[in-house]
Amino acid sequence: MPDEPQGSAESVGASMFKDELETITAAIESYGEKPPDNIAMISDPFAGQNFIIEELRHRYPDTISYLPFFSVVTSKDFIPNLYTAKDVVIMERCHFLALRKVGGFAMLDEFLDFISSSEKLFITTWNSYSWSYLNAVRQIEGFFPEIIHLPKMDSKTLKELILSKYEGARIEFIDDRVIEKKQGFEVLERKITLPFTNTALTIPWISYSPGESKKEEIEIEDAVFNRINIIADGNYGVAQRVWERSLDYPEMKTSNIPEVPCAVDLTINEAFLLTIILSMESIQLVDLAEIAGPEINIDQNLYRLIQHGLVEEEKGYFHIKPEALKCVCNYLTRIRMVW
Amino acid sequence: MANGIQPDITDLPIKEIDISTILYIGYILIIAYIAVRVLSWVLMRLSERAGIYRISVTMAIPLLKIAIYSTALYLFITAIIEPSLSQLVAFAGLFGAALGFGLKDVFADIIGGIVITFERPYQIGDKIAIKEHYGEVIDIGLRSTRIRTPDDSVVTIPNFLVFNQSVESANAGKTEMMVVIDLFIDPESDAGLAMNILKDALVTSKYVYITANRPYTVLLDDFPFYKRVRAKAYVNDLRYEFEFKSEVTRRAWMAYSREGIRPPQVQRILPETADQNERTSEPST
Repeated sequence: MPDEPQGSAESVGASMFKDELETITAAIESYGEKPPDNIAMISDPFAGQNFIIEELRHRYPDTISYLPFFSVVTSKDFIPNLYTAKDVVIMERCHFLALRKVGGFAMLDEFLDFISSSEKLFITTWNSYSWSYLNAVRQIEGFFPEIIHLPKMDSKTLKELILSKYEGARIEFIDDRVIEKKQGFEVLERKITLPFTNTALTIPWISYSPGESKKEEIEIEDAVFNRINIIADGNYGVAQRVWERSLDYPEMKTSNIPEVPCAVDLTINEAFLLTIILSMESIQLVDLAEIAGPEINIDQNLYRLIQHGLVEEEKGYFHIKPEALKCVCNYLTRIRMVW
Repeated sequence: MANGIQPDITDLPIKEIDISTILYIGYILIIAYIAVRVLSWVLMRLSERAGIYRISVTMAIPLLKIAIYSTALYLFITAIIEPSLSQLVAFAGLFGAALGFGLKDVFADIIGGIVITFERPYQIGDKIAIKEHYGEVIDIGLRSTRIRTPDDSVVTIPNFLVFNQSVESANAGKTEMMVVIDLFIDPESDAGLAMNILKDALVTSKYVYITANRPYTVLLDDFPFYKRVRAKAYVNDLRYEFEFKSEVTRRAWMAYSREGIRPPQVQRILPETADQNERTSEPST
């Protein structure tokens, strides 16, 4: 099998978030003219905020200090770096500053104390579920006058973004779907004859139609990306993952796109751990255990979450399985574990 | 006018009652009963899957019962008699008055059931306190309301109580409800720290639900021999009311003991008793 070609998805990605980039660029350009308006960029897991960060770092290599977090922050060691950083500081994955336990907000408070008295411009990225939670319990939006929510992408944008990696290469889209049948209720007319008379009447009659052979009259490429977007729900990272798993290069068969059933019924402890994993995006076992405390058996609950196909482990870090993201979010919102 | 109506009433056309009429009435009653049971069961199952809309779904159950039983009653009456409108009105009045004297409590309960259904002082799934009973409403029938108490007893409360008793609904049709958690600490302990710890224990609970409309608060009150730290917050599902309380209390006290925050000392609250205890426990020399 030939190597899959790599294109310039980053630049295409940056153009997809044009408005968001313009807002941040304007804030950087006007730095020094007025007190800085710190920026919070909020996005779902895998949503593609890294396109914006990469583009900013590319545009302003001399102005920006880049200080990402990769795991839960447990000490104040990051504070001295803030003093020595350049005037504009990008801090990625700031949700790692808070841990959902008693005393778990100390690092977040340190950070908020620092930015309250700092004259630097902070561009921060947050997981959307952590942001909602921290905003509810700590009102953090007061520290970030500029809040940017990354929008969901439509199928067309996802198609453009994903196919940009294959510029010059030819991907063969094959429609091997089972013929879709249009099912549903329909109103028909039915003739009846009244008893003891010969009078015939036409009355409306509701009938269930098991289906008729109809193919959607859309391009096969669009049909593929529409189907991917049903799973991805506008999330680039999820769409990319589904694409990669479905692509048998250079062939992309519609039947390869998996069905993702969503019938979740969890215990409160499983749902809580799932909430933490969703909010932190990627978390180590030791941090999960710290949050869960003694009353939750981490190993058993994680095992069940993995068995349900909701969570996966990668190099000691647990994260939501991208294909299950939509299902997990809907479920946790429905039972009010995330707000 | 009265003369015009009178013969109409007295000539109440009672149908001939034969075995098929009795069977018909039996079918109606059985079908109505089965329909109520099946639809109630289906709606309850649906409500459990509806998440935050659980109580909205269960709201339909009492309405459904009234509709089905009313229809059954109408079919029952028309199976026996074939009244004109004026006869039906007069008959209903007389029937109601006659039964009202004998079964006035039952009728008061049924009217109470109808009032509960339409006015909705509480709904199935609500946590209510009525008289000395507190629990989750599990069924609103035509005659009585059944609640499940925290210790899993089912209490049947006549519906007419809604007319002369105040009913306290902790959640008023919502899935979430406010829970109040009190911790009592020694007056010499650091009250500020105790408040911060309780606040953390509250907002990090797996049961908590916080939004702009559902805020939380932590309050301190000073009493002669102790201080009370009170937390108020919403539990995400009222079924977890007691688990929420227990979890927050346990985690807060674990942190309190780490930080040296103590519960009120018995010597302060009951100095005389404590002295007596000390004296009696002293070994004799």
